[in-house]
Amino acid sequence: METTLSDILQDIRSIYYYAPLAIKVAIIFIIVAVSATVLAYLVMLRSRYRNYRQQRRMARMLPKIDELLMNEIIANPNIPHDVAPSKVALDLEPFDELPLHKRWGREMLTERIIHYRNNVSGTAGDLLRNLYLQLDLDKDAMRKLKSRHWNKKVEALNEFTLMDMPIADVTILPLANSRNRELRAAARQAYIKLSKNEPFKFFDSVTDPLLPWDQVELYRIITTTTDIAIPNFARWITYSSNKSVVSFCMKLVVHYNQLAAVPAIIKLLENRDHTLRAEAIEALGRLKIAEVEDRLVHLYTSQPLFCQIAILKALGRIRSGRHIDFLRNEFLHSTDFDLRKAAARAIVKNEIMAREVIDELLATTTGENLLILKHCMNPLIKY
Amino acid sequence: MNSVQEILSAFYDSAIFVYGLTLIVVYGVLAVLSIIAIRRYLNATRPSQLENLMSSPLAPGISILAPAYNEGLTIIANVRSLLTLNYPKYEIVLINDGSTDDSLEQLINEFDMVAVDFAYHEKIRSKPVRAIYKSRNQAYSNLLVIDKVNGKSKADAVNAGINAAAFDYFVCTDVDCVLHKDTLLELIKPVMQEGGKRVIAIGATLRIANSSEFDEGVMTRMRPPRALLPRFQEVEYIRSFVLGKMGWSAINCVPNVSGGLGLFDREIVIKSGGYDHKSFGEDMELLTRMCGFCEDNKIPYSVRYIPKTLCWTEGPSSLKVFGRQRTRWARGLAQLMYAHKSIFLRPRYGRLGLVVFPYNFFFELLAPVIEASGIIIYLWLGLTGNVNWPYAILLLIFVYTYAIMISTLSILWDQLSFHYYKSVKEVLSLLIMPFLEFLLYHPLITFYSLKGYLFFLTNRRSSWGNMQRQGFRKAKTTT
Amino acid sequence: MSKILLVEDDEVMPKIIARILPPPEYEVDIAVNGKEAIQKLEANHYQYDLLITDIMMPYANGFEILSKVKSHEREKPIPVIIVSNAGNEDMIMEGFKLGVDDFLKKPIIPAELVIRVKRLLMRNK
Repeated sequence: METTLSDILQDIRSIYYYAPLAIKVAIIFIIVAVSATVLAYLVMLRSRYRNYRQQRRMARMLPKIDELLMNEIIANPNIPHDVAPSKVALDLEPFDELPLHKRWGREMLTERIIHYRNNVSGTAGDLLRNLYLQLDLDKDAMRKLKSRHWNKKVEALNEFTLMDMPIADVTILPLANSRNRELRAAARQAYIKLSKNEPFKFFDSVTDPLLPWDQVELYRIITTTTDIAIPNFARWITYSSNKSVVSFCMKLVVHYNQLAAVPAIIKLLENRDHTLRAEAIEALGRLKIAEVEDRLVHLYTSQPLFCQIAILKALGRIRSGRHIDFLRNEFLHSTDFDLRKAAARAIVKNEIMAREVIDELLATTTGENLLILKHCMNPLIKY
Repeated sequence: MNSVQEILSAFYDSAIFVYGLTLIVVYGVLAVLSIIAIRRYLNATRPSQLENLMSSPLAPGISILAPAYNEGLTIIANVRSLLTLNYPKYEIVLINDGSTDDSLEQLINEFDMVAVDFAYHEKIRSKPVRAIYKSRNQAYSNLLVIDKVNGKSKADAVNAGINAAAFDYFVCTDVDCVLHKDTLLELIKPVMQEGGKRVIAIGATLRIANSSEFDEGVMTRMRPPRALLPRFQEVEYIRSFVLGKMGWSAINCVPNVSGGLGLFDREIVIKSGGYDHKSFGEDMELLTRMCGFCEDNKIPYSVRYIPKTLCWTEGPSSLKVFGRQRTRWARGLAQLMYAHKSIFLRPRYGRLGLVVFPYNFFFELLAPVIEASGIIIYLWLGLTGNVNWPYAILLLIFVYTYAIMISTLSILWDQLSFHYYKSVKEVLSLLIMPFLEFLLYHPLITFYSLKGYLFFLTNRRSSWGNMQRQGFRKAKTTT
Repeated sequence: MSKILLVEDDEVMPKIIARILPPPEYEVDIAVNGKEAIQKLEANHYQYDLLITDIMMPYANGFEILSKVKSHEREKPIPVIIVSNAGNEDMIMEGFKLGVDDFLKKPIIPAELVIRVKRLLMRNK
């Protein structure tokens, strides 16, 4: 008897047909599992091959790119010094040897230029940007910005931000209110970096919280962009109903030592939100506003623990030496370990004025309190 | 007699089938969820991000807690590698848990350390601290060494570290684990990106270090283990982290953050009472209590995982040590389930009570029991001639192929995202493991789990056999 | 000729610095991590005129190298410039406590680096 493939299939079909449900399910799952496994192998091979190809291309291209960037841009003696770097007409001919007609070639060069710009700024940085423009490398990012996929848009926005490429407000602003968090964050960074009119405008309208991560990225962009006009942050500290914006603005006030915004921060001491109040206390301490010390000491007893610690730390930072008795009292009589430690640290920070008190405490306290004091006085211990 | 057999057959035809099917569906769902979570992670990852955090004054401080017991062989190299992690604001708290070797002397000499008057406040109880050391060299100013009386457990040592830690977050690791240089940046990033919820713990993928190359505590070449037993573990780790934990992370139901590497919210840990030194699975036990604490206090929380490998740990390479490790883990699980049975299926405990606990009870705790009893009953049915062999074999093939698929998929997810390992050959050496696992590795795990349960039931005292470390010796002299 | 040791784990930075500090005036020796840096220092008996280093690097961070260089007995310690993107305040303070002579934040302005290098070399002549 001759069995053909169709006979076998017929057999399988009949086994399947008469089998109980459990077996039917099992047969289906076997087929699914085997094909999924085979598929997984194929996908893996493909992905490894692509990765390998990319690695090989990079190994070949990067030395060439480096050589060109070095000779033509970074250390090119022929670049005129009397022309603004963004106006210099660069000799593009040597770059013809790169496969810039291929997208991967352009991407690789762009990435490398960005890498260089992370390392050098000034004239060299401007020249690199000039090269990026003259080689039309921005066209790819332009296309990505119009892509339907949000992650492509994010890539484009990042590239523009890093390359300092102006984009029209009308293009970015809708993205800055996108429902996608990543896209929203990238658009806000791009807006601050690239908008020529009012880079901080979106602070007015932002309703979702600026996550700590967003704050890190924004903070970096704001504090490293040189030609940005810094507004008076008191405007948002006073009027914004978004707590994260208020808190972020306080950090910026501290960074810029913006004393004009101090009254707005002082008003926050009456705020009902504990976290915000603690942040306001911290900001005042960092700004060394000696005038609020009395106020802080007055507030002290009515505060929750972490605000009390913030107050003690602030007194340590302000270092006026006017409230050493208060600190001494807290150090000796507070029941909470963390409070005593914060008080001791504040006393030690006021060392110049508190010399006598410290000596007295060293001589009279014992046990844990003495240990705390020594801990805070030891220069080897940082925290 | 016949009727008993019929009932048993019927039971195994229906109940066990439903059980198996549920498990299979769960794994299928996890596979889908994990790839979604991994893609989300990769989409939100750009190379410049870590650099930005690296230079930011807004980066939150992190304390690294590394307990060490008789690790003299490697301790200096490993502390050095911790000292070179990329992060702008961190401290290393090394806890010398009453080592009987010269670990402490080595540390004191190498890093120029002196005992200091340190205001140590015991927020969580631990065995007494003998002394605390700091370096006189400014270059090591973020190193702190605690010398304490041996507490016979990692839990006790870490608790002492938590008490001395200065920052709001701590990373718990083993001193013999080798960390990726961006570990701190990678772990804190998702914490800072989470809106609305408080991330109380976060972990990352762990891998087996056995055949990888290390040079003074720095990973230089990643390679799958050559020996069979560690290689099984590598595949198991990839499946459990990249597919399992990532899948659970997508729906905020991570059951455990591994003791090898995890970042925790210090305040929540302290309020939950710290690690339990009596537990055999102290990492999972703590996380359960932390989640319970948050549910009790209505704190919206989340526990996350990231797919990137940040930590390499030495996997046991002898059957004896491996058996001891797995017996201990199983015992820990049984202990945990029993101690926290009040959480089980209680709607008040939200996802913890309704998803995490039932899953772990039915599919982690009971699985070995059901498997073992299933085999016995099948054998009995087989001997008395009551098995439909073609169907039985078909079911077996079904389980076998499905298991292979799940493991292969997890290796695929890992490969697609990170292209680990140098050659296709190395990847293939991992890919054959799923075919063997079912026959060689899985029975072992089932056996050791049952042994662990037995120890739990009989409450046997166990010697704390410290794992025999081979130690990451210095890189073989480069040729 | 001034002999400079550059410690940097990024691959682009050494290329740039080697180009802006060219021979015969300068000789730039490159170490790609902390271990290599210490090996080079010891192999050359600390005979360098200047050290340029990053902070975060594998094996030994910049501060460790810095403290090694500054504690090494020589009639004049090697001047040190830190070039790093990790420029938060605490780190800068820590660097100065350890005796760093100059601190440049990435991205650097090449011409500025050249001037600072020249000034430090002059001062130590």
